[in-house]
Amino acid sequence: MIEFDHVTRTYGPKTAVSDLTLAIPRGELFALLGPNGAGKTTTIRMLVGLLHPSRGAVRVCGHDLVKDSRAAHLHLGYVPDEPCLYDKLTGREFLWFIADMFGMPGRHAGERIDREIEHFELGEFADDLAESYSLGMKQRLVFAASLLHDPDVLVLDEPMVGLDPRSVRIVKDLLAARTREGMTVFMSTHTLAMAEEMADRVGIMVRGQLRFLGTVAELRDQMALETTTLEHLYLELTSPRSPAS
Amino acid sequence: MTGRPATPDAVRLLSFEAEGRLFMRLRATLAWETIRSMFADSRLRLSLVVLLSGLFWAALYGLFLEAFSFLDALHAEVISLLFNAFFSSLMVMLVFSTGILVYSGMYCSTEAKLLLTLPARPETILSHTFREAMWFSSWGFVLLGSPMLTAYGVVRHSAWPYFVLLLPFMISFVFIPAAIGSICCMLLVAWMPRLRVHALSIGVATVCIAAIWLGWSMVSQSRIDAMSAAWFERTFARLAVTEQKLFPSWWLSSGLIEAARTERDGSVAGLALGEALKFLALLVAHAIMLQFLAGWVARITYRRGYSQLAGEVPARRRRPLGWFDRSLSHAGFAAGRPLRLLIVKDLQLFRRDISQWSQFVIFFGLLGLYFFNLRSFNYNNAYASMIGYLNLAVVGLILSTFTTRFVYPMISLEGRRFWILGLLPVHRDQIVWSKFLFSFVGGLIPCCSLVFLSDSMLGMPWRLIGQHELCCVMLCMGLSGIAVGLGARMPDLRESSPSKISSGFGGTLSLVLSSLFIMAVVVLAAVPTHLFIVSRAFGPTYVSPHGILAWAGGPWGNAVSLVLVVALGLAATFIPLGLGLRSFRRLEA
Repeated sequence: MIEFDHVTRTYGPKTAVSDLTLAIPRGELFALLGPNGAGKTTTIRMLVGLLHPSRGAVRVCGHDLVKDSRAAHLHLGYVPDEPCLYDKLTGREFLWFIADMFGMPGRHAGERIDREIEHFELGEFADDLAESYSLGMKQRLVFAASLLHDPDVLVLDEPMVGLDPRSVRIVKDLLAARTREGMTVFMSTHTLAMAEEMADRVGIMVRGQLRFLGTVAELRDQMALETTTLEHLYLELTSPRSPAS
Repeated sequence: MTGRPATPDAVRLLSFEAEGRLFMRLRATLAWETIRSMFADSRLRLSLVVLLSGLFWAALYGLFLEAFSFLDALHAEVISLLFNAFFSSLMVMLVFSTGILVYSGMYCSTEAKLLLTLPARPETILSHTFREAMWFSSWGFVLLGSPMLTAYGVVRHSAWPYFVLLLPFMISFVFIPAAIGSICCMLLVAWMPRLRVHALSIGVATVCIAAIWLGWSMVSQSRIDAMSAAWFERTFARLAVTEQKLFPSWWLSSGLIEAARTERDGSVAGLALGEALKFLALLVAHAIMLQFLAGWVARITYRRGYSQLAGEVPARRRRPLGWFDRSLSHAGFAAGRPLRLLIVKDLQLFRRDISQWSQFVIFFGLLGLYFFNLRSFNYNNAYASMIGYLNLAVVGLILSTFTTRFVYPMISLEGRRFWILGLLPVHRDQIVWSKFLFSFVGGLIPCCSLVFLSDSMLGMPWRLIGQHELCCVMLCMGLSGIAVGLGARMPDLRESSPSKISSGFGGTLSLVLSSLFIMAVVVLAAVPTHLFIVSRAFGPTYVSPHGILAWAGGPWGNAVSLVLVVALGLAATFIPLGLGLRSFRRLEA
């Protein structure tokens, strides 16, 4: 579903992502972890087509994000770290715009919009202008919009920021259900507990390089630690004193 | 895990037409909601904008009617030169303004970030951004051009086709520079992302230098020549450089002049109308071709350009004025240090906000250029005094737009960071006073310098220069007091956008009060001075031998008017400031 093929991205003299090769199959929830400035956001931006790799290729469902971006976007849903909405559209109007953008036929789109409004409990404010929404409401609306077309790949950049505990639970349940149905989730997060609870595999990036790729159990094996949490493993791996970093 | 189809059945890529229609619907919904909320939230501002635009249009129409009547009698060919000069300069301005607006819409906005993650074509995103950019950059052209062209048609007794064709001519014309600006912007970002600021600066500087050279060469002739036939001849010879047949501005002016022609009996001139339609077709064809070209450029460069721009490393910020900030922070008594630190902080924010200082430099720079050229004309004393006061009013009006747009929202924006200031050992009054001093001193230096330049160029006596400077100080003080006082009295702590804060009720009230204050100060000071000069020049009985006018035109009248100006200035400063301070002390953030 998602392929990073020897991807490098530079900012002037600085290498933000270095020779990243990664494949994530259908139905997997993958969590990308790493300290600030590790290259997680750059990786996500390349995956959604906002940035082009300096070298290598990123593919979604076999479509290259640079050469065939429209076809690739058809399979993608994206929840950015800061919600991008039109202040002068209501939540429902925004959802209709997204549904139309993906060419969803009217009746079908209407049903999906109602479904997502119900899932994310947007009913009370769906017909208010987005400018009156709180951060959490905006984030829930963006989640609803990203899932509207049942994407094959959902990309989440710090998805839980601004969400209240109830909304976090809704999102977690939804992600679990959708991945069971075959949706692939690529998530960047600092919330290690969530990654530990939900991710099939984790990747840990340090200074642009993927230092670890595998399950939490594999990470424990690699670090030769038996009972510790992901937080301990993560801190150990990303510590400046760590031999791995 | 269950098997999912590679592409869900219900999802498909839109056709080009369907995508275009979708974005048109989006634009229409956004425009409608914006208008609706303006009617709901900013009725006062909207009414003022409509009223002032109407007055501005009517005044321009009257002015152009007079001008065209005069020029029509003088020499009909002069019109062609003037149209070419006007439209070619507008064309250059539209190229730059649309380019800058397209840049901010396509590369710097959150909307672009959203649209680029959807299956939208780059050319559709361009045309969506382009429509908005063209509207914002060309409304000034419509407001300025429509009274001028209507007045021309009226003076020429043109038949109905001229008036019908005005709008198609103007719309097809603005598409051309707007498309050129968009193309230049996209190419610059895609090929020279690092050099875009330099390239833009060089372009703007070249155009400014050319405009200054042209303006200077026209007004720097000897005083005796001014407004004479020889002066006109030389000026028009210089303007002939804008009359290029390959320029869309020439097609527009020629088309309009042809469309305005009538037969001797006043009926439609068929041949001339045919010529006009040919020019219109030329404009429309080029507008369409450039639209296609812009779409093609967007298709091949937009995503790559966006990515390159996002990958730029920001230059390390240097602090060339750090020494000044440190000196200001440490100058004076220790008790006043918090106040000075707040002023230094505002000064640093001002210096780093290009939108603030660039507008400041452009407006005051243009005003300075105009004042610098005043010496080209001969004036008698009374006329010079009137011009001096009008210049003072213009300086005040420009300052009032800055105090409303940038100073008024300062307290509201501080309110959002209130938790920082709330934890510091700073009295709330000091926050308000720091804004006032920042605005007052910041406005005083350029305004007083400009008024001095204007008066020097007009050859004013020292006594009048002193009077004007006193009025200028009062204007700076009063305008700062109104903006800061009302800003503290009616803060909008939830809003983060300064433009939205200043366009609300409080900002509009501040602008209206500022305008009334400027008018009151200028009228109070100008009328007695004018009467005084006239009575000196033509004898005391010329104005009125007795009564209030005679008294006002005398030395006592002048002295009292200045006292009233000072009183008015102090009232405009301390009444709003007092209200603001009281309200800000009680504010619960």
